[in-house]
Amino acid sequence: MLRTTLIKALNAAKLSPKHVSVVSRASSDVAKKPEKIEVFIDDQPVLVEPGTTVLQAAALIGIEIPRFCYHERLAVAGNCRMCLVEVEKSPKPVAACAMPVMKGWRIKTESEMTKKAREGVMEFLLVNHPLDCPICDQGGECDLQDQSMAFGSDRSRFTDIDFSGKRAVEDKDIGPLIKTIMTRCIHCTRCIRFASEVAGVDDLGTTGRGSGMEIGTYVQKFFLSELSGNVIDLCPVGALTSKPYSFTARPWEIRKIDSIDVLDAIGSNIVVSTRTGEVMRILPRTNEEINEEWLSDKARFAYDGLKRQRLVTPMLRGSDGELTPVDWETALLSVGKVLRNAGSSVGAIAGGLADAEALVALKDLLNRLGSEDLCTEHTFPMDGSGSDLRSNYLLNNKIAGAEDADFVLLIGTNPRFEAPLLNSRLRKAYVHKELDVALVGPKVDLTYEYDHLGDDPNVISEIASGKHPIAKKLKAAKKPLIILGADILQRPDGGALLAAVQSLAASTTPSEGWKVFNILHKVASQVAALDIGYTPGVDKIRENSPKVLFLLGADEAAIDKSDLPEGCFVIYQGHHGDQGAVIADAILPGAAYTEKQATYVNTEGRAQQTLQAVSPPGQAREDWKIIRALSEVIRVPLPYDNLNEIRCRLHDVAPHLTRYGEAENANYFKQAEELAKTAKSSNLSGSPIDVKIKELKDFYMTDAISRASPTMAKCVQAVLKQKQSKY
Amino acid sequence: MASLLLRSGALKKCPNLKWSIASLSTTSSRLSDDVSKAVKQKEAPQITHDTALLNPEEIEQRKRLQGYITVDAQSNVAPITGQPEEHVKGRLVRIYEPAKNAMQSGTDNTGHWEMDFDTRERWENPLMGWCSSGDPLSNMKVQFSSKEEAIRHCEKNGWEWYIQESSFEKPFKPKSYGVNFSWNKRTRVSTK
Amino acid sequence: MARYLGIDKVFSVLNIIKENGGLRASLYKLYRMDELKLGTLVGTDKYGNKYYQNKRFFYGRNRWVEYAPQYYLDYDGSQVPAEWYGWLHYKTDLPPDQEPFRPKYKWMLDHVENPSGTPGQYMPYSTTTPKIEAWIPPKK
Repeated sequence: MLRTTLIKALNAAKLSPKHVSVVSRASSDVAKKPEKIEVFIDDQPVLVEPGTTVLQAAALIGIEIPRFCYHERLAVAGNCRMCLVEVEKSPKPVAACAMPVMKGWRIKTESEMTKKAREGVMEFLLVNHPLDCPICDQGGECDLQDQSMAFGSDRSRFTDIDFSGKRAVEDKDIGPLIKTIMTRCIHCTRCIRFASEVAGVDDLGTTGRGSGMEIGTYVQKFFLSELSGNVIDLCPVGALTSKPYSFTARPWEIRKIDSIDVLDAIGSNIVVSTRTGEVMRILPRTNEEINEEWLSDKARFAYDGLKRQRLVTPMLRGSDGELTPVDWETALLSVGKVLRNAGSSVGAIAGGLADAEALVALKDLLNRLGSEDLCTEHTFPMDGSGSDLRSNYLLNNKIAGAEDADFVLLIGTNPRFEAPLLNSRLRKAYVHKELDVALVGPKVDLTYEYDHLGDDPNVISEIASGKHPIAKKLKAAKKPLIILGADILQRPDGGALLAAVQSLAASTTPSEGWKVFNILHKVASQVAALDIGYTPGVDKIRENSPKVLFLLGADEAAIDKSDLPEGCFVIYQGHHGDQGAVIADAILPGAAYTEKQATYVNTEGRAQQTLQAVSPPGQAREDWKIIRALSEVIRVPLPYDNLNEIRCRLHDVAPHLTRYGEAENANYFKQAEELAKTAKSSNLSGSPIDVKIKELKDFYMTDAISRASPTMAKCVQAVLKQKQSKY
Repeated sequence: MASLLLRSGALKKCPNLKWSIASLSTTSSRLSDDVSKAVKQKEAPQITHDTALLNPEEIEQRKRLQGYITVDAQSNVAPITGQPEEHVKGRLVRIYEPAKNAMQSGTDNTGHWEMDFDTRERWENPLMGWCSSGDPLSNMKVQFSSKEEAIRHCEKNGWEWYIQESSFEKPFKPKSYGVNFSWNKRTRVSTK
Repeated sequence: MARYLGIDKVFSVLNIIKENGGLRASLYKLYRMDELKLGTLVGTDKYGNKYYQNKRFFYGRNRWVEYAPQYYLDYDGSQVPAEWYGWLHYKTDLPPDQEPFRPKYKWMLDHVENPSGTPGQYMPYSTTTPKIEAWIPPKK
């Protein structure tokens, strides 16, 4: 706060681009709504919509008013009083976060009265705040620390005359992720508001008044939610800190690398903090189109899984049937020999964490060997147009688009645990825009109310024919969304289900540019794999029974030894010793998502790249480089030697794969629907629609990384413990 | 001093002083009375002794050398910066807008563009377990006020670059304290 | 007379050769230690190293050790035990067996030569805990 960057100091008069963008947006709104009112903030005029708070109006012209309780994504609480500012002709300072501006107000954010008010508030806050910054995990990135430096008094009037000590509050145990030091709490209630508004879990609240006020769970209870980690970010002091991160690093000694989360299909933007070649923590990075500034607990806390069960050296299964570590040369030579002998009888299965570079390299390699048996572990029906039309397998309306929907029909998906940040968007629309949600599938807790339409798949055709009561709502909706879980398409009648949902989507009357049909994937690699041309599902491998099977991080046990012919040589390339590595005859250690610069495409078709934060452990290497090296050994060299060249190849295969940050729209909805009708069997079976992840305990461990994570295991334990408790 | 006096206009107030100005002035025509007149005043061009001895072609050549030469090509300083070639070729620069730290509400150190390099291999120092790197550019983060400026800097230094666009802009929505207590909306606050 | 003709040098060479056990032994000694000296045997330590003194040489060269034959060419200074070290480096003039104040306790360890370059040498190792736990394949 005290320090300004050189650029800012030099361009004091100029506004930063961030602010300019807001201003331009605000001024473009001027044309639409002429009833704007003008106020003056520090004598700078600003036109705002009526109802805008003082704090927001100040933010429009780049003036930041200090705050503790106010958060732009949470409801206004107005209880910290840090944002008090002077308004001309007002006898008292006003709380900027809650007070709407009036026409012609002159607001002074740097006046004597404002400064005095801030200083007073700081003094009151610090009276009951412990002086433990040196041992506090928030130290260095603490709002209270910074603001007391910038706005607080330079001397203390706190004298403990009675030696009664400062206020102290007992710490609460609210689970394995969040560490509480409740004495540090300044009662901003951000965590309470987050829990009840965004996470939808009314677990946190306050008890008592005045100096006896406490934040807690009322009864001995864990605060368990798939988004619980965000209260750590929200806490402006060190009252809620990360338990796995506690006492491990300081913010100023950490390297921050922007990256992408790959543990679900949302592709949340993250910042990987590393120190001494080790991932210390993962924080969210603001991206309004994807994760806003939230992050799911799995993405945030599963990083300790990156340090366990790692494959650090190539391995070969010896004659005694045991896997023994070997060096790269031996591994590549023997794998190359096997591949050369197998000829074109080679199959490959790509797992959920594979990046686009490795996928395209593996596909090129196998195609050169004369094989087309490239599959993904997670299936998708190939009836009709299958994966030929992108609109079939994308979340077409984008994640941010979910906010604007007026009716959402969820089919066979539990977005709360399959894509927590999509669910938070749906909840946001539910709370703020009166969104109606209906669900076909098992009855699960989505943190908001919804119409449960049962789990019979025939409900879909009933809605389509207009017999079902919900059909009217769907028809009437201007912005309806149908979100279909990719998981239920694994059913034998998946093709028929897809066709039914597509025709249902086509029967709606959405407004211009609105896309009704959406697929929600569960794994990060699926969309890229389908874009590149992998066949979804492993049936092809079962049919063709290849002599050599190449598993690219396939750990979901979609195929096991009994499905493969006798003597089939299994090569596993990946970063964790999980189910894939156990059945492998040769192991090639690859890099995890924090260790490579790689492309991932999220469920809405948005290509994003991870950046390398740490080096791969031991002898592990980047995945596409391993495949490139292997191609050299079997004398079918692939034509790319560096990242740029393989990205060019990606661009050749599918240009959107290298347009990072942009979600490429899919089209041909009508054609997809037409083709879907040609599916082999259009009869839906009567078996109920089910989802795999129904409860919170299923959410934590879903892939090789989170299964290796001790923190995630503790979370599962905590959920089970919570179930036994009487609350 | 005399000219100051003249220009001040103090004397102009009394017209009968005009004669005295003329008598005060030491030049034959008083240029300071009117600046435009002074500009128009013709004088013989001064020729210094070295130009006087030159051929017309040589003078022309000299004139040409005096101005700036505009070359359309991008300047590349990489060959003369003394940077090892391995750190010019093969390095990938990321140009990005730093995001706000999720742990804090302040927005300092954001709102500009920055460049940094790809992460090279780091290894653990066997003595203390500290992190070692052989990459002299690993700590290079340069701030720019616009991305064009950053691009220009990278091109000048011969680094390959890419832009990482970010999406920080969000729709503006007025916040209201009242919705916490609305009786028919879902925004009503239950716990506190 | 002999001194004027330098014949006494020849005699002394012959004497040295004789004292060192003949021509063959002398050549061997010369090969092993690059010098042939004449001196009085002051003592022998338990490892077989022999300690000589000859006051005719100047200070610094007048005490020396002949390493035990089992070391052959692999002798070095650390093979001199601590008690003889003092005498050899002029810290004391009394050889250890004659020194009255030299303590002798049961717990005193036997002298060990420097193990550098042998399998017993010290190797530094990382004291930090590994940051990555590798996967260990399950045994069949």
